[in-house]
Amino acid sequence: MPVRSVLCFGDSNTHGQIPGRGPLERYDRPTRWPGVLQAELGSKWYVIEEGLSGRTTVHDDPIEGAHKNGRTYLRPCIQSHTVLDLVIIMLGTNDLKVRFNKPASEVAMGMGCLIYDIRELAPGPGGSVPEIMIVAPPPMLDDIKEWKSIFAGGPEKSRQLALEFEIMADSLGVHFFNAGAVCQCDEADGFHLNADAHRTLGIALAQEIEAIGWSVAEHQR
Amino acid sequence: MPDMRFAPPNPLRIADRASGLNAPSVRSYNERLVLSLLLQSAGISRLEIGEKTGLSAQTVSVIVRSLEQEGLVSKGEAQRGRVGPPAIPLSLNPKGAFSIGVSFGENAADIAVIDFVGDVQHHAAHPYSTLHGSGALAAKIQETLAALPPSSRTRIAGIGLAAPNETGSHRVRDLLGSDLIDLQASIESALNLSVYIQDDITAAAGGESLFGVARSLPDFLFFYLGSHLHSRLVLNYQIHSGRFGMSHDVGLLRLREEFKRLGLVLEDVGSETLPRAAAEYYAEWRRMCCRQLVGSIRSLLSFVSFKSVVISSYAPPKLGQTLCSELHEEVPEVQFLYGANSIAPKAVGAANLPYHSRFMVQ
Repeated sequence: MPVRSVLCFGDSNTHGQIPGRGPLERYDRPTRWPGVLQAELGSKWYVIEEGLSGRTTVHDDPIEGAHKNGRTYLRPCIQSHTVLDLVIIMLGTNDLKVRFNKPASEVAMGMGCLIYDIRELAPGPGGSVPEIMIVAPPPMLDDIKEWKSIFAGGPEKSRQLALEFEIMADSLGVHFFNAGAVCQCDEADGFHLNADAHRTLGIALAQEIEAIGWSVAEHQR
Repeated sequence: MPDMRFAPPNPLRIADRASGLNAPSVRSYNERLVLSLLLQSAGISRLEIGEKTGLSAQTVSVIVRSLEQEGLVSKGEAQRGRVGPPAIPLSLNPKGAFSIGVSFGENAADIAVIDFVGDVQHHAAHPYSTLHGSGALAAKIQETLAALPPSSRTRIAGIGLAAPNETGSHRVRDLLGSDLIDLQASIESALNLSVYIQDDITAAAGGESLFGVARSLPDFLFFYLGSHLHSRLVLNYQIHSGRFGMSHDVGLLRLREEFKRLGLVLEDVGSETLPRAAAEYYAEWRRMCCRQLVGSIRSLLSFVSFKSVVISSYAPPKLGQTLCSELHEEVPEVQFLYGANSIAPKAVGAANLPYHSRFMVQ
């Protein structure tokens, strides 16, 4: 039976960073949402994880490094993993760092760029454009502990991301899911997902992926 | 010049978070295509919508999401355990929209409210003696609206008027005025709702076709048994009318008058203790009615093929069912269905008009 591929392109919340812990502390694969997704979707899907802590949509980070730029990494990443049936992008939180000074609408513009780039690369079956799903990250909590200066103004902007992303998804005609509708950030640091949130998100996204509808006939091309 | 690919987003539908229904102009052709499918078949998946409309999965996703947010569509539970990927069935939300239909009978105007799956939420017959002056109809509709729960009042798709094609009594003419267009305009401005008009027999046929017994039947012959007998032919979901105003003098009027002479009303038809004279006349009336219907059916069957005949009436269901089984004995190759909307077939049919105009592809 043919297997479909889904790329999960995200930041620390796709990487599985444990809330409030050291930079090397990461949930194991079955706990991270892409792992949950894999378990839910079963063997007919191959779930690829591409989560980098600190990843932005389109910005070189002057402090953390140019490699945090989601746009420059997306191209080699997508080409490495072709053929892709679906690309899920969950980014945006890191763009809210005060060093980038961007409103939520501008973060959505960054997401839009990534969609254009995926379309240009056409990594889907037979050189087609794959299904694309934008996922708005759950909003940050008001208390983000020692991160409050780095993310000054971030919590409020983070609450606007879902609507701005949805507007972008509708404009460009791609799938959209609001993670904030099913899970929230952990209180330990106020912007990372705990194991429960990963589990809920993985299950919800599996449902969303199934709802897209994948015709059996179409897959035999 | 900026790169126009990165112009500000221009969403199809989104960002309208109002609690009521969106303006009719916002609804795109593709959205109507999806809504038409959902009005015709409940519980279909996004995959099926894509297959039937030819729209891409992402377009269907965008449209379905905005319809969900607008409260017009609701998601069912994922159905696992079948062959192939599990499907999430989508259906119209019954409380997503409401519509009002008005029809004009011999002695009273019927006002009906239906929900988004065609169920009658409210119905009342208003005798013409309670309707005086040009604003009377709008005022009665306003009263009907006021009786609905507040959450429903913001979700009215519009008002359908079933225009009588019989010249009718002078009281109907007084109420409607000389020009229906003026009436339409005055109700629209009084209630700030769109008003749609169709001849009443066609409206009744449309009502049975969208939500009634003829749902999913592309072809059927439709009879409306009112005071007189009227007919419409439905082929491939299109309603055709013959020579306008054609009606046969075998309707309920005769039966009612004879019953009245005997001190009875039409509702006595089902009674066990019907006096002999009345029972005999009732049987005779049915024979006449059947003869007329069978004649029409047989002659039409020699030109077009259809397997179903729908009979719609406000008469007691017992009368309709008896008539249908007697007709089936005469013409066994055709199925006879008695209309689902016997409470007020024309008003309920007229209530479908706003749905057709606002949500469906023509």
